[in-house]
Amino acid sequence: MLEISDLTARVAGKDILNGVNLKVNAGEVHAIMGPNGSGKSTLAQVLAGREDYEVTRGTVTFEGRDLLAMRAEERARAGLFLGFQYPVEIPGVNNVYLLKAALNAKRKAAGEPEVDAYDFLALIRQKMKFMQMSEAFLSRGVNEGFSGGEKKRNEVLQMLVLEPKLAILDETDSGLDIDALKVVSKGVNSLRDPKRAVVLVTHYQRLLDYVIPDQVHVLSGGRIVKSGDKSLAQELERRGYDWVMGAQVA
Amino acid sequence: MNAALRSFETQWRARSPDALQPIREQAMQRFLELGLPSLRDESWRYTDLRSVAAQSFAAAACEAGGAADASELALVDAQQHATTLTMINGCPLLKADIPAIKGLEINSIRELYKQDSQALARFFEVASDADQRWLLLNTALFIDGLYLKITGPVATPIVIRHMASGDGAQAAHPRIIIDASAGASAVVIEHHIAQGDPSPLTNSHTHIALARAAQLEHYRVFASGAGATHLDSLDIHQAEDSQCRQFTITLGGGLVRSSLEARLNQRGASLDSYSLLVGHQDRHVDCVNIVTHAAPDTRSRQTARAIAGDQSRVIFNSKVIVNKGANGSDSKQSCRGLLLSPSAEIDTRPQLEIHADEVKCAHGATTGRLDPDMLFYLLSRGIDRETAQSLLVFAFLADVLTGMSMSSARSAIESALISQLPDSQILRNFR
Repeated sequence: MLEISDLTARVAGKDILNGVNLKVNAGEVHAIMGPNGSGKSTLAQVLAGREDYEVTRGTVTFEGRDLLAMRAEERARAGLFLGFQYPVEIPGVNNVYLLKAALNAKRKAAGEPEVDAYDFLALIRQKMKFMQMSEAFLSRGVNEGFSGGEKKRNEVLQMLVLEPKLAILDETDSGLDIDALKVVSKGVNSLRDPKRAVVLVTHYQRLLDYVIPDQVHVLSGGRIVKSGDKSLAQELERRGYDWVMGAQVA
Repeated sequence: MNAALRSFETQWRARSPDALQPIREQAMQRFLELGLPSLRDESWRYTDLRSVAAQSFAAAACEAGGAADASELALVDAQQHATTLTMINGCPLLKADIPAIKGLEINSIRELYKQDSQALARFFEVASDADQRWLLLNTALFIDGLYLKITGPVATPIVIRHMASGDGAQAAHPRIIIDASAGASAVVIEHHIAQGDPSPLTNSHTHIALARAAQLEHYRVFASGAGATHLDSLDIHQAEDSQCRQFTITLGGGLVRSSLEARLNQRGASLDSYSLLVGHQDRHVDCVNIVTHAAPDTRSRQTARAIAGDQSRVIFNSKVIVNKGANGSDSKQSCRGLLLSPSAEIDTRPQLEIHADEVKCAHGATTGRLDPDMLFYLLSRGIDRETAQSLLVFAFLADVLTGMSMSSARSAIESALISQLPDSQILRNFR
């Protein structure tokens, strides 16, 4: 589904990614872990098409298409979803309208008719219930006045409505209490499907107790320095990132 | 003497005197002494009137046009049973069939002045004539005007359609007085519509006087084509505990210069001024607000949102003056500008002049481009770029739009805005 080869990128003149290689197959959940500043969020943003992040080398294919040649909105419509680490507040743009427009943009790109207004509201209500979100959400601006946890739930809600083929969740677990973490994990797990893939960017292992990854990668200094199965995350938790980075030097 | 001044003087000499003659004569003499404002005048430094000064103007005809126009916005809907009054080139159409409305008396300024000049004299006093030269000209040359006396709560909105009809070699001087008695309340919408390209120069003036605890929501809406030149001034005088909510909405016109001068004369007077200024193509929008806190415990809020695209230029200057002794004054100025094109320009300048000790005055002004984080967020959800930009523009204006209590006016203004933004169809479905 996703194949990243020798990807390098710079932000504001500084090299952040230094040759990332990663292959994610349909049906898989991958976790990308790493210390602060290792390039995790940059990788997520580059994959989603952030324009001020400059790709200097490498290729990325998404379902056989050249992802880097697509604009951010085209990537989204093709089925790529980024859950933001810090979802921006957009007062004056209603949550529900945004969701509806996003869904319709995707449907239009797939040659499908626009979603019926009644069906759409029913769908939103069902997903909101699943995510244990309050009705007040419906009338508010995008992320406006949301707590950190509410913003993350909103990201997962959007993901559930848009049903992406590939979801990249950038530290969706950070700042969540244990109940919220369970709800968010439930949301992510509900999307697991042989036709979809999920990339979890995370700092901590605790999310991986609830969303069991098929593979775990450690990103350090802008490249993947170690990959393994879920036991790698547990080992990292026990021994710290210095252990991998030390191993890299050795 | 420039061509415009000469032509106004010619008009002045040609007209036959009426009951207002002494006031008019004084104003005309002062106007001829001062001449037209130019870039050298502080409050006119952003608006170049040389092309206006170089033209000769004839009086625009009262009877011309006045029919419905495509640019006219449906600011009220039928269920609201609004009282609609039409002014054509500054001449009120006072038909006998205007139904009587409780709490509202509608009169011709000229007729009323003939009957009782003392009753109207105070509405013709000019505080700072150097800044109000166009008002002096209006006083000298206005043909007639509307005097609206609000005597109690008026349940239905009052709409004044200002039609400018004719050609660019003509000028009109519409004049409105809104006089609200103690405890009275009303919504008044002034809608400026210009026909013809170019259409007559419109030099309009509105005077609002609010007595104790009177409440007024006032709109002035400019939504004309690129051939329109509007010079509009608005004076507001507020007594004890009166409340005024004022909306200045500029969606169109080639050159629109609007001023607001408010005086909070007694304790408890409160003004909320909202300005929504939209520049596109090569339009020029200049908005000047001066709010004077002349008594203790008065309150003012100014919220201005300006957007400028293409080669347009939008200016918003606001000034709050707190007079000596006006302790407990509370004012806020918030001006934000959004540039949509590299060749557009926005100038905002909030100013404070404080002569009292205990006051609460805040001001802030920012001008920038669309927030790249917000834009990326919308794009990453599959929203196409033009729609995303329009949505963010809309969101930017929300602080003004949500302040409107007239949902019909808000909806009409939103629709007009949307039609000026890219990818309007998608946005229309979006609301």
